[in-house]
Formats: sequence, structure tokens, C-alpha cells
Amino acid sequence: MAKVNVKICMGTTCFVMGSSQLQDLVDIVKNKYGEAVEVSGSTCLNHCTNSSEYSKAPYVTVDDTVIQEATIDKVLQEIDRKLKENE
Amino acid sequence: MFIDIYCTQEKKYNQNTFGDYFVSKRDPETDRLLAVLSDGLGSGIKANILASMTATMLLKFIEADSDVRKACEIMMNSLPVCQIRKISYSTFSVINCNSEGYTKIVEEGNPQFLWIRNNELLEPECEIITSENFKNRKMHVYRIQLKEGDRLIFCSDGVTQSGLGSDKFKLGLRRKGLVEAVLHKLKEDRFISSRDLSKYIVDFSCSLESDRKAKDDVSAVCIHCRSPRESMVFTGPPYHMEKDNYYANVFKNFEGKKAISGGTTANLISRELNIPIETPVNKNIGKLPSISYMEGVDLVTEGILTLTKTYEYLEDLSEMRNDAAGDLVNFLLNSDCIIFMVGAKLNQAHYDPNLPIEIEIRKNIIKKIAKVLEEKYVKKVTIQFM
Repeated sequence: MAKVNVKICMGTTCFVMGSSQLQDLVDIVKNKYGEAVEVSGSTCLNHCTNSSEYSKAPYVTVDDTVIQEATIDKVLQEIDRKLKENE
Repeated sequence: MFIDIYCTQEKKYNQNTFGDYFVSKRDPETDRLLAVLSDGLGSGIKANILASMTATMLLKFIEADSDVRKACEIMMNSLPVCQIRKISYSTFSVINCNSEGYTKIVEEGNPQFLWIRNNELLEPECEIITSENFKNRKMHVYRIQLKEGDRLIFCSDGVTQSGLGSDKFKLGLRRKGLVEAVLHKLKEDRFISSRDLSKYIVDFSCSLESDRKAKDDVSAVCIHCRSPRESMVFTGPPYHMEKDNYYANVFKNFEGKKAISGGTTANLISRELNIPIETPVNKNIGKLPSISYMEGVDLVTEGILTLTKTYEYLEDLSEMRNDAAGDLVNFLLNSDCIIFMVGAKLNQAHYDPNLPIEIEIRKNIIKKIAKVLEEKYVKKVTIQFM
């Protein structure tokens, strides 16, 4: 089964808008899903500058899905959905 | 040739301020390095005032190329007189060095400086000038030509008198003991930086005292002539996007150490030069995004937050923590000549009023960092906007 890839944006805007807290995902995801999901960071996902709505930071991607105003719950929900899809 | 200079000081035990004073300045117009070390009479505030007046005045005079004899005469006449001793006194060492290594040194009262070449002590000739008004004050004037690898060491008498009265050093460390200690250290580490060597001398002096408490103000100024350690900090995307590739290649072809500060900037370099970025997510790394990794780049950090913190650390090194900004501070302090390549493109997202903290404009924060690097750490800094 293919791994689900989670990328957390660590750019300035996302970081001050809350991605500093999203770093807890590393442990949460490991405990909950083990090796099925991989979490990594990104210097900037470029969504803050490309999007017409700037104020939707922080951004996280779960595979190719972009999550705006990401929270730990939102990301976990999306991971669950992806894993179900992949089954 | 680059001249690496650093001063380390320790104040006398129980005093709340330093009685020795050190100032230095790089004059970019004439490409000279100017420095003055002064030791004021007594200790504490009184000594501090005497020493800082002496050093600041002499620096102004040599900056204006005044006649040294006249300058010293004016300076000595204007010092306040000690109420107890009825004299005014402060020693000084004046250093005036150009980029070719031609150096003029004027000493009065401080221990004679050390000139070390190939781990041997050189004894330069000197001219002695007696003051017109103060007959007991004799200025020693040296004119020497430095070569790459040479070191100069200046100190206050706190160094040469350290350990006074101890079993091993009944008369203190003296110049002879200092020479031995320095030559021994240089044998161990030939390429030691001026910063580390001056720290070593001060620590060594203090270690000779009982309880490691300095009995006098202790200062050591080290100078090392060597080829400069160059580095480049690339921060912010260029204003014209079509120049991205050009500037990425400038970065690639730069021969010194390299740092990138900025997420978008790192992506730009990664895209143009086809180097992948690795960004580990670390827990509890404090208030800053952690560093990323790229092959061929020595340091990759986030931009504005890290730069703002870097500026704070440079202003007060005791605040420094082991985070991305701390890494950037070490990167900068381990360089002599630093080029900042600053992209002028605005990041729209930073102007969102919802952002919870004050985010500085990149140009401004870089200017502030450059100023503190030049003035406090005597680095050569160039800023290029792109």
C-alpha cells in the first residue's frame, strides 16, 4: 500500500499562523498510523503567495489535497479519508 | 589580506564595570583598521571613564590622521584628575593598520605588544617620544610590516600581573609567561581565531588567581592576518522573476560559505539549480522554524523570523539559544567578509493584518544586522539588492 505523505509548511506566514503547533503531528501520526503515513516539513508550499486569499495559512498538504487553515484535527480527518480511499 | 581582530575582557572582581576600554573601527574609505585599548587609573567607574575618554578621543584623532604626539598631548591634558592621587592617568595602545599590513603602533603604559610570526616572537625597533607636559610619560612608536599569518597581541597589565604572589608566579605572569602561554597555544592550534585566542588569554590569566577571581581588569586584543573567510547570505527572491536563474547561479558560483534565509528563497534556489531540499520536522525547537538541508549549502533557514531573532542575538550574545538563528549567528561570526544578496520582491502574505506578530521588512532587518556586524564585530559587510 502506498504511503500517505503529509507536508507541513514551515514558511514565515504559516509558522506564525500556527504551523509551529502542527509539529506535534510527527508524534501523533506515528503513534496512530505507524509507518502508513509520513510527515515532513517544507520550506514553503507557495500557497500563501499563489492563492488569492492570503489569510488561509497555515497550509498542510496530504498527498495532493491542500488543507487551508490547518489544524491537527483537520489533518487527521484528511489522513483517515485518504487511507479509506486507498483501501 | 584580512585582519581579524577581537578583544576579550574580564572586569576586576567585585567591580560592576570594566576599567579597561577597547574601541575599534574599520574605515572603508581608506581600508584601514583602527583600534585603541586603554587601561584607566584605578578600577570601576572612575577607571572606566578615564579609559573610555582616552580610547574614544584617540580613535577620533587617528581617524582624522592627526599627529600622534599632538593627539596624545591634547588627550592627556583633558583627562579628569583623580581626587585621591591628584594625577590623571590612563594607558593606551593605538593600532593603525592598512590592508597591505603596514601598521603603526603607539604604546604608552601598557605591556609591550607581542608580534608573532611562524610561532616565533619578533622584537621590532621602536622610537621613543617623551611628552612635553608629562615628562614621565614616554610613547613607544613602532612602524611594522605585517605578513599573512602574523599575529599581534595587546593586553592590559591585568594579564601580565595575573597570579601575582602565587607560588608559581611570585611577580605575576609577566610578559615572558604570556609569550610562553601564547606560543604553546599556537603550537596546539595554528589556525585559532582571534576570538578564541583572546578568550584563551583572559581565561588563562584568571585561572592563575586564587578562586579564579581577577584582581585587576583583564583585557586581551588579538590580531591575526590571514586570507579572509568569505560568506554569502541569500535572502528573498529577486524583484524581476526572470533574473532568478542569473542570481541562483551567482549563488552557486560563489566560492565561500553559503547560507539561504527564506522558505520561498530556498525553493527558488532548489528549482533553478535542481537541488532537493530536506526539511525535517522537529518537535519543540522553540519559537523558530528549524533548519533545512540542501547539498552544497552550509545553512538553510526560514527568513524574517529567523533574521529578526539573529539580530537580537547579535545585539546580546548572552541571549543566544541553540536554534536556527543561533546557527546563523555562528555562521556570520565565523566569517570575515559577508555578502548579503537581498531580494527586493515583497511577500504579499506578510502584509496580512491577521498576522499575530510584527514582521519586519527584509531590507530593514538586513541593514540592522549589517550595522551591528560592522560596528560590534568589525566584519566587512556588503549588501547587494536584487
